Amino acid sequence: MSIEVLTLLFFGALLFFLVLGLPLAFVLGGVSVVFLYFTWGFDSFFMVASQIWSTMESFTLVAIPLFVYMAMILERTGVANDLYRMMHLWWGGVRGGLAIGTLGICALFAAMCGISGAAVVAMGTIALPSMLERGYDKNMALGCINTGGGWGILIPPSILMILYALITGVSVGKMFAAGVLPGLLLMVLTIAYIIIRCYFQPHLAPALPPEERASWAEKFRALRAVILPIAIVIMVLGSIIGGITTPTEAAAVGVFGALISAVVYRKFTWKLLHEASIRTFKLTGMIMWILFAAHAFSAAYQSMGAQELIEGLMQMIPGGPWGVILSMMLIIFLLAMVLDPVGIMLITLPVFMPIVESLGFDPIWFGILFVINMEIGYMTPPFGFNLFYLKGVVPPNITMRDIYLSIIPFVLVEIVGLALIMIFPEIATYLPDLFF
Amino acid sequence: ADTTTWKVQSHWPGSSSSYEDSLGRLKRVIEERSDGRLKLDLYESGALFKPKQTFEAVSRGILEMGTISPSYAQDKMTLAGIASGLPFAFRNVWETAYFHQGLGFEQMLRDEAAQYGVYWATDKVYPTEMVIKNPINSWEDFTKLKIRSSGALQKFLTEAGAAASYIPGSELYPALDSGVVDGAHWGAAQGAYSMGLYEVAKYHVKPALNIAGTDVIIVSQKALDKLPEDLQNIVKQALDEQFWFRTNEYQYKERVTLAKAIAEEDVQVNTLPEDVQQRLTQTAQKMWDEEGERSERAQKALTMLKDYLTELGYL
Amino acid sequence: MRALTAFMNGVTRLNDFIGRWVALLVFAMFIFLLLEVCFRYLMNSPTVWTNELTQMLFGVYAIMSGGYIMAHRGHVNVDLLYSHLGPRVQACLDVFTSTMFFAFTLALFYFGYDMASQSVASWETSYSAWNPPIWPVKVAIPLGTGLLVLQGVVKLLEDIAIAFNLDYYKPESREAEQEDML
Ligand SMILES: NC(=[NH2+])NCCC[C@H](N)C(=O)O
Ligand code: NA
Ligand code: NA
Repeated sequence: MSIEVLTLLFFGALLFFLVLGLPLAFVLGGVSVVFLYFTWGFDSFFMVASQIWSTMESFTLVAIPLFVYMAMILERTGVANDLYRMMHLWWGGVRGGLAIGTLGICALFAAMCGISGAAVVAMGTIALPSMLERGYDKNMALGCINTGGGWGILIPPSILMILYALITGVSVGKMFAAGVLPGLLLMVLTIAYIIIRCYFQPHLAPALPPEERASWAEKFRALRAVILPIAIVIMVLGSIIGGITTPTEAAAVGVFGALISAVVYRKFTWKLLHEASIRTFKLTGMIMWILFAAHAFSAAYQSMGAQELIEGLMQMIPGGPWGVILSMMLIIFLLAMVLDPVGIMLITLPVFMPIVESLGFDPIWFGILFVINMEIGYMTPPFGFNLFYLKGVVPPNITMRDIYLSIIPFVLVEIVGLALIMIFPEIATYLPDLFF
Repeated sequence: ADTTTWKVQSHWPGSSSSYEDSLGRLKRVIEERSDGRLKLDLYESGALFKPKQTFEAVSRGILEMGTISPSYAQDKMTLAGIASGLPFAFRNVWETAYFHQGLGFEQMLRDEAAQYGVYWATDKVYPTEMVIKNPINSWEDFTKLKIRSSGALQKFLTEAGAAASYIPGSELYPALDSGVVDGAHWGAAQGAYSMGLYEVAKYHVKPALNIAGTDVIIVSQKALDKLPEDLQNIVKQALDEQFWFRTNEYQYKERVTLAKAIAEEDVQVNTLPEDVQQRLTQTAQKMWDEEGERSERAQKALTMLKDYLTELGYL
Repeated sequence: MRALTAFMNGVTRLNDFIGRWVALLVFAMFIFLLLEVCFRYLMNSPTVWTNELTQMLFGVYAIMSGGYIMAHRGHVNVDLLYSHLGPRVQACLDVFTSTMFFAFTLALFYFGYDMASQSVASWETSYSAWNPPIWPVKVAIPLGTGLLVLQGVVKLLEDIAIAFNLDYYKPESREAEQEDML
């Protein structure tokens, strides 16, 4: 059977069982096993077990339970809620203030952590209830967490950039430097979107009613709420930048900070630790089983000859250098609807990179486009990690439909950002050229 | 005629020079000499199996071919420790090459791997060298170092008095950049260059920590047996040639890469002071004996190695 | 029928019990990573064991979570169509899609068992600088998957009961139970 037909059947089966309501992890795993049986034979199931073992052995994933644990403790102690109360008091007059504040916290999280799942789960736990409680529209709240949570792979440090560098041979340092301005650009664009949208539709993100707005004394008193979170951020970021810890170890420093705040808030009890542990276990486990199956799925797809398909597609592409770049973006965008980022990299980059370079484009710049596209992929239906991570933490009355719908404007904003970086490559290349 | 296609799982990422130079070459040679009757489908590191699982997959015959480092097969191969390089044993690459091919260590490896249905062929022998952020000018400088290392070398560096810790490759660059560690080894010049380590660590340390057959091509015996005899010979011959060709070419590229790093990135070669070298060698020799204890085979290989080093005048 | 109900409750309780203990490993991971930072940065003597031990605990932690999360309905799905269906239709669909669940988990169990028994046969160690036994982590694969399979069987029995109106399982009892399980 040709790879084109296989691809259709493979992804078709994925969608079919997804729509029927089987949990994502089992859809990915089950479809892989069935297709492996017909294309490679029974013995190839060993590959599934082997991929899972390798995922268990991946040290960088240790950051997930720790960052989630940190968030759970912060939420239970009330630090998170105080933080949002403070934001509301100060930004009371600004429509969408909490959403903007959330994006800021997302950006900080992104600077502490090289992966994207932990931030989505953490913000889904901390920020979502706070925003909903204060009358925010659920689409606004969900969408901004979804989009901000993905920045972890664009703002350095970033595991995905390191992998990109390893596969393509560009400098990691340059990639990191290149990610900073595009990260800020996306943040500015998203904030601009929120401000404009909420200006016209105030009910989406209501400002604090004038009579409830605080006096200056109250505002300053509320500021105490930021002391602890800021101290934690300084601890975590400082330990990475100061050469004290690796990004993964920094997650443990974050937990330490959260525990200190628990003590300061006089909430430090065995019960708190246990409850936070259990919630962390549920969320991390959910993420990990999706990753287990996703790794098996992309390995299965590669074994069927995914790369051949990409090679074939590239030969049919029309229209000059920009036609090629745009087609590549489209292919990545489509693949990102159903595959995990590492799988996409392994399938596409070996085919794309020689072409990109022969057309005279900067591989660093292309890398940034690639990473942003992955970020978009994280939140596009049907299959986007962020969507599922978020689904795992939201209250039951929020459905997958809500989550799917919430991302539409935010995806458009990211696409605008992507287009801007395509048109003005300097946004990506300015810093690396300056520093290296 | 029938064409056979083999799945080949690499332990090199695509940007590693060896992916093209070793596997790309092998693919060209085999496909050309077999008139296209045997084709190799190459997969980048981790695509189907992660590096540590590749030996097992080849052994089960799920993969027909793969590349590994001997250390990834430690649990099966008692010779793996010696194959992946005892620290401060050889001083020149040709010595290691002769140990493998002239004295029969390669055959010993092949015999041990055969027990698992695997045909073992060392891709090349080459040095593993460190890059560091500040030069080592004294024993004290060395013991103050925090070094990213792995496996036997980590134990060795720790025992010698440095602070060696394992950091996965994906976090190596930021760790070195921010100073979590002051030094690391990732292959030698080419490895360091491909990981961008020279951007953040400007001293390349000589001599090598070890020189060894760190890259290996493994073939499933079952797959090999299924081929007609002439194809089997083509494969085996290509692998035999590969060792000599790649060992030589790799040294050439090492030199070129180091020269480039010196010119472009202001890298300096830091030759360890005589007394530091001596103390490191002493520590290393104490560790060699442990590797011999793993099996009779390993003991035999170790004795052979020691006799050889004595003959060379190093012991 | 009573045996069936007992089996279902037993498996769910077992998963719950195990999950509650395994969940605490996150605290251990935190401690060990923090220790390593202290050892390396404050005393300039990194250990060979902390990061690797953390890694091993994480592996066990992740794989053992499957059954517990299933017992708590924590594996996420797409409810676009699903949420609009009645409980009996949902149950019928679940019976059908469980083929995929079992294809995956049984394949994993079979080869995980294979991997683990080989590892146990040689008391496999990691051959790192620390060189700890690695077989217990590999054993966790068939163990964790086995618990997940069992919970999957329970889920299948529940779905069959709902689909065919059988009386060995009452959906309501389950809802009440979930509340106090957190
Ligand atoms: N030729 C290479 N790039 N080799 C990479 C070797 C990596 C190996 N893990 C080390 O610790 O050094
Ligand atoms: Na980041
Ligand atoms: Na997606």
